[in-house]
Amino acid sequence: MSMLPYAVAAWLFGIGLYGIATSRNFIHLVGCLGICQSATYVLLLGLGYRWGSIAPIFYDHPPGTPAVDPVMQALVLTDIVVGATLTALLLVLTIQAYKRGGSLDPEILRPMRPGGQPDRGASRADDGERTAP
Amino acid sequence: MSPRLRVALLALSGLALLPGAAAVIAGLPPFGATIAQYGERINAIAPDARHVANMVSAINFDLRGLDTLGEEFMLLAAITGTVVLLRGHRGEGNSGRAMRRAGRALIPRSEAVVLACRIAGPLTAVFGLYVVVHATVTPGGGFQGGVILASATLLIYLGEGYAGWRDAVRSHWLDALEGGGALLFALCGLGPMLMGAAFMQNVLPLGTFRDLFSGGLMLIENLGVALAVTGGFTQLFLEFMEETRATDEPEEPGEESA
Repeated sequence: MSMLPYAVAAWLFGIGLYGIATSRNFIHLVGCLGICQSATYVLLLGLGYRWGSIAPIFYDHPPGTPAVDPVMQALVLTDIVVGATLTALLLVLTIQAYKRGGSLDPEILRPMRPGGQPDRGASRADDGERTAP
Repeated sequence: MSPRLRVALLALSGLALLPGAAAVIAGLPPFGATIAQYGERINAIAPDARHVANMVSAINFDLRGLDTLGEEFMLLAAITGTVVLLRGHRGEGNSGRAMRRAGRALIPRSEAVVLACRIAGPLTAVFGLYVVVHATVTPGGGFQGGVILASATLLIYLGEGYAGWRDAVRSHWLDALEGGGALLFALCGLGPMLMGAAFMQNVLPLGTFRDLFSGGLMLIENLGVALAVTGGFTQLFLEFMEETRATDEPEEPGEESA
Protein backbone atom coordinates (compact mmCIF):
# COMPACT_ATOMS: atom_id res chain seq x y z
CA MET A 1 0.00 0.00 0.00
CA SER A 2 2.78 2.41 0.81
CA MET A 3 4.22 2.03 -2.69
CA LEU A 4 0.90 2.30 -4.53
CA PRO A 5 1.24 5.96 -5.74
CA TYR A 6 4.68 5.29 -7.18
CA ALA A 7 3.45 2.14 -8.88
CA VAL A 8 0.52 4.10 -10.32
CA ALA A 9 2.96 6.69 -11.67
CA ALA A 10 5.12 3.98 -13.27
CA TRP A 11 2.02 2.32 -14.73
CA LEU A 12 0.72 5.62 -16.16
CA PHE A 13 4.09 6.31 -17.74
CA GLY A 14 4.19 2.78 -19.13
CA ILE A 15 0.77 2.86 -20.79
CA GLY A 16 1.54 6.33 -22.13
CA LEU A 17 4.72 5.01 -23.72
CA TYR A 18 2.86 2.00 -25.12
CA GLY A 19 0.30 4.36 -26.63
CA ILE A 20 3.02 6.48 -28.19
CA ALA A 21 4.79 3.45 -29.65
CA THR A 22 1.65 1.96 -31.20
CA SER A 23 -0.10 5.19 -32.15
CA ARG A 24 -1.66 5.44 -35.60
CA ASN A 25 -2.80 9.04 -35.19
CA PHE A 26 -0.86 12.11 -34.14
CA ILE A 27 -3.69 13.51 -32.02
CA HIS A 28 -3.86 10.22 -30.15
CA LEU A 29 -0.09 10.43 -29.77
CA VAL A 30 -0.27 13.89 -28.20
CA GLY A 31 -2.88 12.54 -25.79
CA CYS A 32 -0.58 9.66 -24.86
CA LEU A 33 2.21 12.12 -24.19
CA GLY A 34 -0.20 13.89 -21.84
CA ILE A 35 -0.71 10.60 -19.99
CA CYS A 36 3.07 10.18 -19.65
CA GLN A 37 3.16 13.66 -18.24
CA SER A 38 0.38 13.03 -15.75
CA ALA A 39 2.58 10.23 -14.38
CA THR A 40 4.98 12.96 -13.26
CA TYR A 41 2.16 14.75 -11.43
CA VAL A 42 1.28 11.60 -9.53
CA LEU A 43 4.92 10.90 -8.73
CA LEU A 44 5.69 14.44 -7.52
CA LEU A 45 2.53 14.84 -5.47
CA GLY A 46 3.03 11.36 -4.01
CA LEU A 47 6.58 12.20 -3.01
CA GLY A 48 5.48 15.41 -1.35
CA TYR A 49 2.57 13.99 0.61
CA ARG A 50 2.52 13.25 4.32
CA TRP A 51 -0.41 11.81 6.26
CA GLY A 52 -2.13 14.23 8.59
CA SER A 53 -0.64 17.33 7.01
CA ILE A 54 -2.46 20.37 5.69
CA ALA A 55 -1.95 22.09 2.35
CA PRO A 56 1.08 24.41 2.50
CA ILE A 57 -1.07 27.50 2.93
CA PHE A 58 -1.04 29.02 6.38
CA TYR A 59 -4.18 31.10 6.22
CA ASP A 60 -6.62 29.12 8.33
CA HIS A 61 -3.90 27.23 10.17
CA PRO A 62 -1.06 28.99 11.98
CA PRO A 63 2.48 28.65 10.59
CA GLY A 64 4.14 25.63 12.10
CA THR A 65 1.24 23.25 11.44
CA PRO A 66 2.63 20.19 9.65
CA ALA A 67 2.13 20.77 5.94
CA VAL A 68 2.89 18.79 2.81
CA ASP A 69 5.91 19.58 0.66
CA PRO A 70 5.33 22.91 -1.15
CA VAL A 71 8.24 22.38 -3.53
CA MET A 72 6.50 19.44 -5.19
CA GLN A 73 3.29 21.42 -5.56
CA ALA A 74 5.15 24.31 -7.17
CA LEU A 75 6.82 21.86 -9.55
CA VAL A 76 3.49 20.30 -10.51
CA LEU A 77 2.01 23.75 -11.10
CA THR A 78 4.73 24.72 -13.54
CA ASP A 79 4.56 21.24 -15.07
CA ILE A 80 0.87 21.65 -15.85
CA VAL A 81 1.22 25.11 -17.36
CA VAL A 82 4.15 24.21 -19.58
CA GLY A 83 2.44 20.94 -20.50
CA ALA A 84 -0.68 22.76 -21.67
CA THR A 85 1.23 25.12 -23.95
CA LEU A 86 3.42 22.32 -25.28
CA THR A 87 0.31 20.29 -26.09
CA ALA A 88 -0.92 23.26 -28.09
CA LEU A 89 2.42 23.47 -29.90
CA LEU A 90 2.34 19.75 -30.71
CA LEU A 91 -1.22 19.99 -32.00
CA VAL A 92 -0.13 22.82 -34.27
CA LEU A 93 2.68 20.65 -35.60
CA THR A 94 0.03 17.97 -36.17
CA ILE A 95 -2.05 20.43 -38.20
CA GLN A 96 0.96 21.33 -40.29
CA ALA A 97 1.88 17.68 -40.83
CA TYR A 98 -1.68 17.03 -41.99
CA LYS A 99 -1.53 19.96 -44.39
CA ARG A 100 1.77 18.83 -45.85
CA GLY A 101 1.25 15.09 -45.91
CA GLY A 102 -2.53 14.72 -46.01
CA SER A 103 -2.65 12.22 -43.18
CA LEU A 104 -2.34 11.98 -39.42
CA ASP A 105 -0.96 8.47 -39.43
CA PRO A 106 2.78 8.34 -38.74
CA GLU A 107 2.95 5.08 -40.71
CA ILE A 108 1.63 6.74 -43.85
CA LEU A 109 3.45 10.07 -43.60
CA ARG A 110 6.71 10.11 -45.46
CA PRO A 111 9.66 12.29 -44.53
CA MET A 112 9.63 15.69 -46.15
CA ARG A 113 12.24 16.21 -48.81
CA PRO A 114 14.13 19.45 -49.27
CA GLY A 115 12.67 21.60 -51.99
CA GLY A 116 9.82 19.34 -52.93
CA GLN A 117 6.39 18.10 -52.01
CA PRO A 118 6.08 14.69 -50.40
CA ASP A 119 4.82 11.75 -52.37
CA ARG A 120 1.17 12.75 -52.54
CA GLY A 121 -0.19 9.85 -54.50
CA ALA A 122 0.74 7.27 -51.90
CA SER A 123 0.06 9.36 -48.84
CA ARG A 124 -3.53 10.26 -49.71
CA ALA A 125 -4.68 6.99 -51.13
CA ASP A 126 -6.92 5.80 -48.31
CA ASP A 127 -7.98 9.14 -46.91
CA GLY A 128 -11.62 9.51 -47.82
CA GLU A 129 -12.59 12.20 -45.35
CA ARG A 130 -10.67 15.10 -46.78
CA THR A 131 -12.59 18.03 -48.14
CA ALA A 132 -9.84 20.45 -49.14
CA PRO A 133 -8.31 19.91 -52.56
CA MET B 1 10.13 -0.04 -38.43
CA SER B 2 7.04 -2.19 -38.34
CA PRO B 3 4.61 -1.67 -35.45
CA ARG B 4 5.17 -5.20 -34.22
CA LEU B 5 8.93 -4.72 -34.04
CA ARG B 6 8.40 -1.40 -32.29
CA VAL B 7 6.21 -2.94 -29.59
CA ALA B 8 8.71 -5.74 -29.16
CA LEU B 9 11.49 -3.20 -28.74
CA LEU B 10 9.39 -1.26 -26.23
CA ALA B 11 8.63 -4.41 -24.25
CA LEU B 12 12.29 -5.38 -24.27
CA SER B 13 13.45 -1.98 -23.02
CA GLY B 14 10.64 -2.00 -20.48
CA LEU B 15 11.82 -5.37 -19.17
CA ALA B 16 15.38 -4.06 -19.03
CA LEU B 17 14.30 -0.99 -17.07
CA LEU B 18 11.95 -2.85 -14.75
CA PRO B 19 14.57 -3.97 -12.18
CA GLY B 20 15.92 -0.43 -11.97
CA ALA B 21 12.47 1.07 -11.55
CA ALA B 22 11.58 -1.53 -8.91
CA ALA B 23 14.80 -0.77 -7.01
CA VAL B 24 14.12 2.98 -7.11
CA ILE B 25 10.51 2.55 -5.95
CA ALA B 26 11.63 0.27 -3.16
CA GLY B 27 14.24 2.81 -2.12
CA LEU B 28 11.79 5.71 -1.90
CA PRO B 29 10.39 6.62 1.50
CA PRO B 30 7.01 4.97 2.13
CA PHE B 31 4.13 7.03 0.84
CA GLY B 32 2.93 9.62 3.33
CA ALA B 33 5.62 9.00 5.94
CA THR B 34 7.88 11.99 5.52
CA ILE B 35 8.62 14.90 3.20
CA ALA B 36 11.91 16.28 1.96
CA GLN B 37 13.88 18.51 4.31
CA TYR B 38 13.89 21.36 1.79
CA GLY B 39 10.12 21.66 1.76
CA GLU B 40 10.00 21.26 5.53
CA ARG B 41 12.45 24.14 6.03
CA ILE B 42 10.54 26.37 3.59
CA ASN B 43 7.31 25.69 5.51
CA ALA B 44 9.06 26.64 8.73
CA ILE B 45 10.91 29.74 7.53
CA ALA B 46 9.01 31.39 4.68
CA PRO B 47 5.91 32.66 6.56
CA ASP B 48 8.16 34.72 8.83
CA ALA B 49 10.81 35.62 6.30
CA ARG B 50 8.47 36.68 3.48
CA HIS B 51 5.15 37.40 5.26
CA VAL B 52 3.25 35.19 2.81
CA ALA B 53 0.74 32.49 3.67
CA ASN B 54 0.85 30.56 0.38
CA MET B 55 4.09 28.58 0.30
CA VAL B 56 3.66 27.54 -3.32
CA SER B 57 3.62 31.19 -4.38
CA ALA B 58 6.59 31.90 -2.12
CA ILE B 59 8.56 29.22 -3.94
CA ASN B 60 7.42 30.17 -7.41
CA PHE B 61 7.92 33.89 -7.13
CA ASP B 62 10.64 34.31 -4.56
CA LEU B 63 12.70 31.40 -3.34
CA ARG B 64 12.97 29.82 -6.77
CA GLY B 65 11.87 32.81 -8.82
CA LEU B 66 14.60 32.28 -11.37
CA ASP B 67 13.08 28.90 -12.27
CA THR B 68 9.72 30.55 -12.80
CA LEU B 69 11.33 33.20 -14.97
CA GLY B 70 12.76 30.46 -17.15
CA GLU B 71 9.40 28.73 -17.24
CA GLU B 72 7.69 31.99 -18.13
CA PHE B 73 9.93 32.32 -21.17
CA MET B 74 9.34 28.67 -22.04
CA LEU B 75 5.63 29.49 -22.09
CA LEU B 76 6.33 32.52 -24.25
CA ALA B 77 8.45 30.46 -26.63
CA ALA B 78 5.83 27.71 -26.95
CA ILE B 79 3.06 30.21 -27.66
CA THR B 80 5.25 32.14 -30.09
CA GLY B 81 6.01 28.88 -31.90
CA THR B 82 2.30 28.06 -32.07
CA VAL B 83 1.44 31.48 -33.45
CA VAL B 84 4.26 31.41 -36.00
CA LEU B 85 3.27 27.96 -37.23
CA LEU B 86 -0.43 28.73 -37.43
CA ARG B 87 -0.45 32.26 -38.74
CA GLY B 88 -0.42 31.48 -42.42
CA HIS B 89 -2.75 33.36 -44.69
CA ARG B 90 -5.36 34.26 -42.14
CA GLY B 91 -6.74 37.75 -42.15
CA GLU B 92 -7.49 40.13 -39.35
CA GLY B 93 -11.15 40.00 -40.28
CA ASN B 94 -13.72 38.98 -37.73
CA SER B 95 -16.51 37.44 -39.73
CA GLY B 96 -18.39 34.50 -38.32
CA ARG B 97 -16.90 32.14 -40.86
CA ALA B 98 -14.44 30.60 -38.45
CA MET B 99 -15.48 27.61 -36.38
CA ARG B 100 -17.95 26.62 -39.09
CA ARG B 101 -17.68 23.72 -41.41
CA ALA B 102 -19.00 24.00 -44.90
CA GLY B 103 -22.05 21.88 -45.44
CA ARG B 104 -22.89 21.49 -41.78
CA ALA B 105 -26.23 22.77 -40.58
CA LEU B 106 -26.12 26.06 -38.76
CA ILE B 107 -28.01 25.89 -35.49
CA PRO B 108 -28.89 29.31 -34.05
CA ARG B 109 -27.45 29.96 -30.64
CA SER B 110 -30.08 29.48 -27.98
CA GLU B 111 -31.00 32.49 -25.90
CA ALA B 112 -30.41 30.49 -22.75
CA VAL B 113 -26.78 29.99 -23.76
CA VAL B 114 -26.35 33.71 -24.45
CA LEU B 115 -27.87 34.61 -21.11
CA ALA B 116 -25.86 32.03 -19.20
CA CYS B 117 -22.61 33.22 -20.83
CA ARG B 118 -23.39 36.88 -20.19
CA ILE B 119 -23.90 36.07 -16.52
CA ALA B 120 -21.11 33.56 -16.11
CA GLY B 121 -18.50 35.41 -18.20
CA PRO B 122 -18.07 38.48 -15.98
CA LEU B 123 -18.35 36.33 -12.85
CA THR B 124 -15.58 34.06 -14.15
CA ALA B 125 -13.43 37.09 -14.92
CA VAL B 126 -13.96 38.47 -11.40
CA PHE B 127 -13.13 35.08 -9.91
CA GLY B 128 -9.97 34.92 -12.04
CA LEU B 129 -8.91 38.35 -10.82
CA TYR B 130 -9.61 37.27 -7.25
CA VAL B 131 -7.42 34.20 -7.69
CA VAL B 132 -4.67 36.33 -9.24
CA VAL B 133 -4.49 39.07 -6.63
CA HIS B 134 -4.71 36.73 -3.64
CA ALA B 135 -1.70 34.74 -4.80
CA THR B 136 0.27 35.24 -1.61
CA VAL B 137 -2.65 34.67 0.76
CA THR B 138 -4.92 31.85 -0.38
CA PRO B 139 -4.56 29.07 -2.96
CA GLY B 140 -4.09 30.53 -6.40
CA GLY B 141 -1.71 32.75 -8.26
CA GLY B 142 -0.89 34.13 -11.65
CA PHE B 143 -0.85 30.82 -13.49
CA GLN B 144 -4.17 29.55 -12.18
CA GLY B 145 -5.89 32.92 -12.27
CA GLY B 146 -4.57 33.62 -15.74
CA VAL B 147 -6.09 30.44 -17.09
CA ILE B 148 -9.43 31.28 -15.43
CA LEU B 149 -9.31 34.75 -17.02
CA ALA B 150 -8.61 33.18 -20.40
CA SER B 151 -11.64 30.89 -19.91
CA ALA B 152 -13.72 33.99 -19.23
CA THR B 153 -12.80 35.32 -22.67
CA LEU B 154 -13.87 31.97 -24.14
CA LEU B 155 -17.28 32.44 -22.53
CA ILE B 156 -17.57 35.65 -24.55
CA TYR B 157 -17.08 33.55 -27.67
CA LEU B 158 -19.70 31.07 -26.53
CA GLY B 159 -22.23 33.80 -25.79
CA GLU B 160 -21.59 36.38 -28.49
CA GLY B 161 -20.41 34.29 -31.39
CA TYR B 162 -17.13 34.49 -33.21
CA ALA B 163 -17.60 37.98 -34.61
CA GLY B 164 -18.48 39.40 -31.21
CA TRP B 165 -15.55 37.62 -29.66
CA ARG B 166 -13.11 39.02 -32.20
CA ASP B 167 -14.56 42.49 -31.63
CA ALA B 168 -14.01 42.16 -27.88
CA VAL B 169 -10.62 40.45 -27.95
CA ARG B 170 -8.01 42.10 -30.15
CA SER B 171 -5.10 40.05 -31.32
CA HIS B 172 -2.47 42.74 -30.82
CA TRP B 173 -3.68 43.37 -27.27
CA LEU B 174 -3.02 39.74 -26.57
CA ASP B 175 0.48 40.03 -28.00
CA ALA B 176 1.09 43.03 -25.78
CA LEU B 177 -0.32 41.25 -22.71
CA GLU B 178 1.79 38.19 -23.29
CA GLY B 179 5.07 39.96 -24.02
CA GLY B 180 4.43 42.69 -21.47
CA GLY B 181 3.80 40.16 -18.73
CA ALA B 182 7.04 38.36 -19.44
CA LEU B 183 8.86 41.73 -19.60
CA LEU B 184 7.37 42.75 -16.25
CA PHE B 185 8.64 39.54 -14.69
CA ALA B 186 12.10 40.04 -16.17
CA LEU B 187 12.17 43.64 -14.93
CA CYS B 188 11.26 42.40 -11.45
CA GLY B 189 14.48 40.43 -11.63
CA LEU B 190 16.60 43.23 -13.06
CA GLY B 191 15.10 46.10 -11.04
CA PRO B 192 16.63 45.13 -7.70
CA MET B 193 20.03 44.97 -9.39
CA LEU B 194 19.76 48.69 -10.17
CA MET B 195 19.37 49.27 -6.45
CA GLY B 196 22.48 47.27 -5.71
CA ALA B 197 20.66 44.16 -4.57
CA ALA B 198 20.88 40.66 -6.01
CA PHE B 199 18.85 39.46 -8.99
CA MET B 200 15.18 39.22 -8.00
CA GLN B 201 15.94 40.05 -4.37
CA ASN B 202 12.75 41.00 -2.58
CA VAL B 203 13.49 44.69 -1.99
CA LEU B 204 9.93 45.98 -1.65
CA PRO B 205 8.22 46.26 1.75
CA LEU B 206 6.95 42.82 2.69
CA GLY B 207 3.57 43.91 4.02
CA THR B 208 1.44 42.16 6.61
CA PHE B 209 1.05 38.42 6.93
CA ARG B 210 -2.34 37.19 5.64
CA ASP B 211 -3.02 40.54 4.01
CA LEU B 212 -3.68 41.15 0.30
CA PHE B 213 -0.57 43.32 0.19
CA SER B 214 2.02 40.89 1.41
CA GLY B 215 5.09 39.43 -0.20
CA GLY B 216 6.56 42.60 -1.70
CA LEU B 217 8.00 41.96 -5.15
CA MET B 218 6.06 38.71 -5.43
CA LEU B 219 2.84 40.61 -6.11
CA ILE B 220 4.31 42.31 -9.18
CA GLU B 221 5.88 39.13 -10.49
CA ASN B 222 2.57 37.39 -9.98
CA LEU B 223 0.82 40.11 -11.95
CA GLY B 224 3.30 39.69 -14.78
CA VAL B 225 2.68 35.95 -14.88
CA ALA B 226 -1.09 36.51 -14.85
CA LEU B 227 -0.88 38.93 -17.78
CA ALA B 228 1.34 36.59 -19.78
CA VAL B 229 -0.80 33.52 -19.12
CA THR B 230 -4.06 35.33 -19.89
CA GLY B 231 -2.68 36.77 -23.11
CA GLY B 232 -0.95 33.59 -24.12
CA PHE B 233 -3.84 31.20 -23.61
CA THR B 234 -6.37 33.55 -25.24
CA GLN B 235 -3.95 33.88 -28.13
CA LEU B 236 -3.86 30.08 -28.41
CA PHE B 237 -7.68 29.89 -28.58
CA LEU B 238 -7.75 32.65 -31.16
CA GLU B 239 -5.13 31.09 -33.39
CA PHE B 240 -6.75 27.67 -33.30
CA MET B 241 -10.14 29.18 -34.13
CA GLU B 242 -8.67 31.22 -36.97
CA GLU B 243 -7.23 27.99 -38.30
CA THR B 244 -10.75 26.73 -38.96
CA ARG B 245 -11.62 29.74 -41.08
CA ALA B 246 -12.11 28.80 -44.70
CA THR B 247 -10.06 31.39 -46.52
CA ASP B 248 -11.36 31.02 -50.04
CA GLU B 249 -15.08 30.93 -49.35
CA PRO B 250 -17.27 33.95 -50.07
CA GLU B 251 -19.08 35.60 -47.23
CA GLU B 252 -22.64 34.46 -46.83
CA PRO B 253 -24.80 37.30 -45.65
CA GLY B 254 -27.42 36.88 -42.98
CA GLU B 255 -25.69 33.92 -41.46
CA GLU B 256 -24.56 35.41 -38.19
CA SER B 257 -27.06 34.50 -35.54
CA ALA B 258 -27.84 35.94 -32.13
